[in-house]
Amino acid sequence: MNRFWKEFAKGIIISNPLFILALGFCPALAVSTSVDNAIGMSVGVLFVLLGSNLIVSAIRKAVPNIVRIPVFIVIIATFVTVVNLIFHAYVPALYESLGIYLPLIVVNCIILGRAEAFASKNPVTSSIADALGVSIGFFLALFIISFLRESLGTGSLSVFGVELFTLPVLGEHPMTIFILPPGAFLVMALLLALFRRIGVMKSE
Amino acid sequence: MKVKTLKGVFPIIFITVIVFAAVGLVSWTDSITRDEIEDQKEQQIQSMLTEMFPSMSKYTFEDDIYIIDADGAKVGYAFLAVGKGYGGDIDILVGLNNEMTIKGVTIVSQTETPGLGSRITDSSFTGKFAGLSIDDVALKRDGGQIDAITGSTISSGAVVDTVRITAIEKIKALTERQ
Amino acid sequence: MSELISIFLSMAIINNFILAKFLGLCPFFGVSKKLGNAVSMGFAVTLVMLIASIATWFINNYILIPFGVEYMNIIMYILVIASLVQMIELFIKRTNLTLYNALGIYLPLITTNCAVLGITLINAKESYSLLESVVASLGGGIGFLFVLVIMSGIRERLEIADTPRAMRGLPVAMLVGMLLGLTFYGFGGMI
Repeated sequence: MNRFWKEFAKGIIISNPLFILALGFCPALAVSTSVDNAIGMSVGVLFVLLGSNLIVSAIRKAVPNIVRIPVFIVIIATFVTVVNLIFHAYVPALYESLGIYLPLIVVNCIILGRAEAFASKNPVTSSIADALGVSIGFFLALFIISFLRESLGTGSLSVFGVELFTLPVLGEHPMTIFILPPGAFLVMALLLALFRRIGVMKSE
Repeated sequence: MKVKTLKGVFPIIFITVIVFAAVGLVSWTDSITRDEIEDQKEQQIQSMLTEMFPSMSKYTFEDDIYIIDADGAKVGYAFLAVGKGYGGDIDILVGLNNEMTIKGVTIVSQTETPGLGSRITDSSFTGKFAGLSIDDVALKRDGGQIDAITGSTISSGAVVDTVRITAIEKIKALTERQ
Repeated sequence: MSELISIFLSMAIINNFILAKFLGLCPFFGVSKKLGNAVSMGFAVTLVMLIASIATWFINNYILIPFGVEYMNIIMYILVIASLVQMIELFIKRTNLTLYNALGIYLPLITTNCAVLGITLINAKESYSLLESVVASLGGGIGFLFVLVIMSGIRERLEIADTPRAMRGLPVAMLVGMLLGLTFYGFGGMI
């Protein structure tokens, strides 16, 4: 049981996909325009990662080496398709909002990376823990980015229709750059630098 | 000999099994979500039309034009227009009164710049269309009645022009029908 | 014709894959200072994007849609892309070994390049015709190549610049991405 929590915690901090491993940028930066999207994307990643880590780990002893990568890809693509259909049917607004970035989870290096580096070499329970940890790490990172972008870029923050707060000055005149694509690069750059500066990450 | 061939063939068998399982799972998911997804388009149109014509009891769809009915009396029409915005297509639902003036405009979908062009969805912009006759549907700088949104002249201009051009088209089709 | 030009310009510049859509970031940040390698990478990705777009268009219109199984698109597209990259990898290995060694690990990584799967998904979403898909993929690829080349040149200057320790490497590269993105924004008025 201890092992479970160890792998879980690892995904959140030490192996945080976005800030440490620097994987899976594409969808992350693109959907970080709002906290809603961040939550939605993270849920999608969670399901796919859980599914793929579970299956990959379950069949890890039986998979012939030559077809390893294609098999992983098929498994991941399957779960992404399932998640895509379920989102389309039951949360259509979120589905529209995430757009092509939801199916793009299939080429998100995080998923294939965890399958290859971890799930294929570890038992099922550890792999599940890893999936949970990494997904939460992903969510935390994405949350910070989208929190900043949405508050500074639109002046207010709402989660699933519930408006949480509106900033005093920025509410009327938000710093639009943050919500534009270049803004994502800006926030990411500053956050990375900050984490390095305070010693959470190593500089180059 | 037999073992060797099996070893060579096993990877192919394995991946085939995986692919079958994958296809099976995806098809099953599709079968349970298919209806839900198909219903959505209809539901979306219905809710948008009801919002635009609160008295609506039913609508019919003929030749790309929605005919809005309120308990037996025709109260107006609606149609979808697609225009080229700054970031891509803008889908617009336009409502017409019986007198062929604009009942309302709803932005169905857009991918304009968040915070700038995306303000075309604000009711402060779409509300300006209500009650206008087609000739007045133009930006003020083009002789019409509608102010462009500061900082997004392209997006607001696209909406205005698309509404006007498509409305002219549809009105012509309607008068020809009658 | 003007429709095609606007698709091309939109994909290449205004909605640039790297700077506006965030697709294909890995090679962007990992691109070498050597202009030659950046160009080769850009061309390789463009080539895969083009062939994948054509292949997936046929799959979409002759297999998926007629049989009503559009939901199988993700699986099919990624398998097509993976196979394509394998074939191109073998081809380059046989014909130009130096290039093969220069591209190294980045060649098989084209499979997971969001830009490639991205363009196939965009083509399907916009229901582009075969010609429009070709133009879109060329636009996207050339835009990608363009930005990669620019970044490659800037990289060189970055190496010798006096960057704060915390900003070195990825953070400052991201800032460059931001500035480039803002610059490209100005082209919006073209269409």
